[in-house]
Amino acid sequence: MLLSVRRVARRYGRVVALAPTTLDVHAGEAVALIGPNGAGKSTLLAILAGALEPSEGDVTAGGRASPQVGWVPQRPAHYARLTPRENLELFARLENVGDPADTADRFIRVLELPDDGRLTAHLSAGNQQRLNLAIALLSRPDVLLLDEPTASLDPRQRRRLWDVASQVLERDGAVVFATQNLEELEQFATRVVVLLDGAVVFEGTLEEFRRAPEADVFA
Amino acid sequence: MRKIWLLLAKDLRILGRSPALLAALILYPLVFAVLVGLVVRYASDRPRVAFVDLDRLPETLTVGGQRFNVPRVISEVQGSVDLVPMEEEEADRQLATGGIVAEIVVPRGFASKLRGMVESPKLVLRTARGGLSGRVEQQTQALVYALNQRLQTAYIKANLAYVKLIVEGGQGSFLGNEFDIVGLDRAGEMLDEIERTSDDPEIRERARELATFVREARLALGASDQSLRATANPIELEIDEKAGRTWLLSAQLQAYALGLTLAFICVLLAAAALAAERDENVIGRLLRGLIRLVDLVLVKVLLAALVAVGLGFAIALLFGALAEILDVSGGEPWQRLPLLVVGLALAGAAFGAFGALIGALSRESHTAVLVAFLATLPLVLVGLVPEAAARAAWWAARAFPFSHSVDFFQAALYDTNPWGTLAREAAWLLGLGLAFGAAARLAVRRLLA
Repeated sequence: MLLSVRRVARRYGRVVALAPTTLDVHAGEAVALIGPNGAGKSTLLAILAGALEPSEGDVTAGGRASPQVGWVPQRPAHYARLTPRENLELFARLENVGDPADTADRFIRVLELPDDGRLTAHLSAGNQQRLNLAIALLSRPDVLLLDEPTASLDPRQRRRLWDVASQVLERDGAVVFATQNLEELEQFATRVVVLLDGAVVFEGTLEEFRRAPEADVFA
Repeated sequence: MRKIWLLLAKDLRILGRSPALLAALILYPLVFAVLVGLVVRYASDRPRVAFVDLDRLPETLTVGGQRFNVPRVISEVQGSVDLVPMEEEEADRQLATGGIVAEIVVPRGFASKLRGMVESPKLVLRTARGGLSGRVEQQTQALVYALNQRLQTAYIKANLAYVKLIVEGGQGSFLGNEFDIVGLDRAGEMLDEIERTSDDPEIRERARELATFVREARLALGASDQSLRATANPIELEIDEKAGRTWLLSAQLQAYALGLTLAFICVLLAAAALAAERDENVIGRLLRGLIRLVDLVLVKVLLAALVAVGLGFAIALLFGALAEILDVSGGEPWQRLPLLVVGLALAGAAFGAFGALIGALSRESHTAVLVAFLATLPLVLVGLVPEAAARAAWWAARAFPFSHSVDFFQAALYDTNPWGTLAREAAWLLGLGLAFGAAARLAVRRLLA
C-alpha cells in the first residue's frame, strides 16, 4: 500500500465537503473517483496530496517511506507571469530535483510545451494543463493524483497524458484520478470509488462497478 | 532558507515584469507625499479672518506725530492671516457658517484712544469653537504683535522728538498745549556765561553744579535713542529666510515622502503577493511540503523590505542630488545614507508584515489590494496628526509603522545626535513587524481553505 486515508473529512463551517472517508491506494492500481459536481472528489484528492488539511482523520504513507506524490489540480497551479521553463525550473528547485535546467528541458520536450519565452498566462488552456501535469511529474512521483486532467486537452494530448500516467503504474506506482468521463474510466481504471454529496457510496473493481446499478450516480 | 530565496527571486522577477504597476506604485505615493506636504503647509497658512471696522478708521491716522496709512499698515502686518474687510453682520454670519475662522473687531473709539496715547485701545477677536480656534488666536496675536511693533516704532520716534526738544530747545506741543523751551544746549551756554560773568562766588558755584548736571543730562539723553529701542524690544528676532534647506527639500518632506511611498508600496505589494499565491492556485502546491507557512510570510516580508531599500535609497539619492545641484545647505544626506538603509529595511519589513496580514485575511489579490489601500490611507493620515492636535489619533498611529518610520528617517538623515531616536523607533518597527508577522502566520492558513 502506498497511501492511506482513515476517516478523513473536511468541513467548511456547517458545510460538509467530504464526509469521513477511508481509502487505501495500492501500488499498480488506477483508482477512479467519480461523482457529480460537488461530490467531494477534488477535496479528497487535495487531502491525499497534502494540499488541504482534513478537519478530521489521518493521511498516512503505506509500506514505503514517504512516497513521492504528484498532484495535478483541476485548475492549473503555476505562476502566470513566468514562462513554462521558469515555472518548471522553479518547482524543480523547490522539489530538490537534481539539474533543474535539464529536467525542465526534458519535460518541455516530452509534453511538447512551448518554449518561446511566452508567459504562461498567454498559453492556451491545453498548454497550461500540460504544464500543470509536468510540474506534478517533476519529482518522479510514486502516486499521481489527477483531478479531471483531460478537460481541456485535445484527443492527442489526452492519449499522451494517459501514456504518462501508465508509466507511473509501470514503475509500481499508483494513479488516482477524478473524472466524469466514463469512457476514460473504462479504459484506465482498475478500481472505482463513487462519491455523492461528500460521501463514498460505492467502492469496488471496474467489473463490480459495471454490475452495480446503484453506482451509476449520473443516471 | 534556499527555498525562501527561490520564491523571493520569483516574486522580484514577477514584479519586474509589471513595470506599469511598479511605476504607478512609485509615482502615486510620491505625488501624494508632495500634495500632503503642500496641504499641511498651506493649511497652516493665512486662515481667512474678517476685519470689522466699527470705528470707521480714517485712511490716514496720526499717532504720536507719526502718520499711518491704515490700509497699507493692515496689508503689511496681515502676513499670518488673510484679513477680509466685512460688515459686522456679514462677519457674524460667515463665522457661524464656517466661511471665516475668526473676526477681528475694531470697536468704536479705537482711533481716539490710540491717538491719545494714554489708554491702550482694545481689538476684539471672535473665533469659532473647535480645533482651529487656538491656532487662529496665535496668529491673531502675531498680527497684534506686528501692529504693536509698528506703533512702538512711532512712539519711540515721538519720544525721541521730545528728547531732541529737551536737548536742543524750541517750540513743541503735548496733549494740545503749545510751549517754547530753552533746551539743555542753550541752558548749558547760559550757565557757562553766568559762571563766567557773576561776581558772587556762591552763584558761580551753583552755576557750575548746574552746568555739570546739564552736561551729564545731555550725555545721557544722547544715548536715549538706543536705550529706548532696547527697552521697547528687549529681545529681537532676526529672520533669515535663506538659511537652511528650502521647504521642498526639507528633512520633514523627505521623511514623509519616504514614509508614504514605503507605506503604500510595501503594504500593497506584500498583501497582493501573498494573496496572489492563492489566486494562482499555487498555495496548495507550495504548502504540501515544499515550504512552511511561516516561510511563505517571511518571503513576502523580505520582498517588501528589499523593495523598500531599493526604492527608498533611490528617493534619498534623488533628494541628495537635488540638494547638491540647488546648493542648499543643512543636513548630512550622504554621510547618513547607511543609517537610512537600516531604517528602510526595518520599515519595509514592518509594512510588509502588515501587508501580509491583509493578504492572508483577504485571500484574493484584488480584494487584498483594495483592503490594503483602504487600511493604509487612514493610518497614514492619522500618522500625520501632531501629538498636540489629537492625542488619541496620535497614539493610534503609533500602532502602525508609518509615524515610526518617518521619525526614524528624519533622525537618520538630519538629527545632530540621532541615536536615541533611532534605537527607539527601530525597536518599535521591529516589534510591530514581529507582531504583524505573527498575526499573518496565523491567518495565512486561511489561504488553503
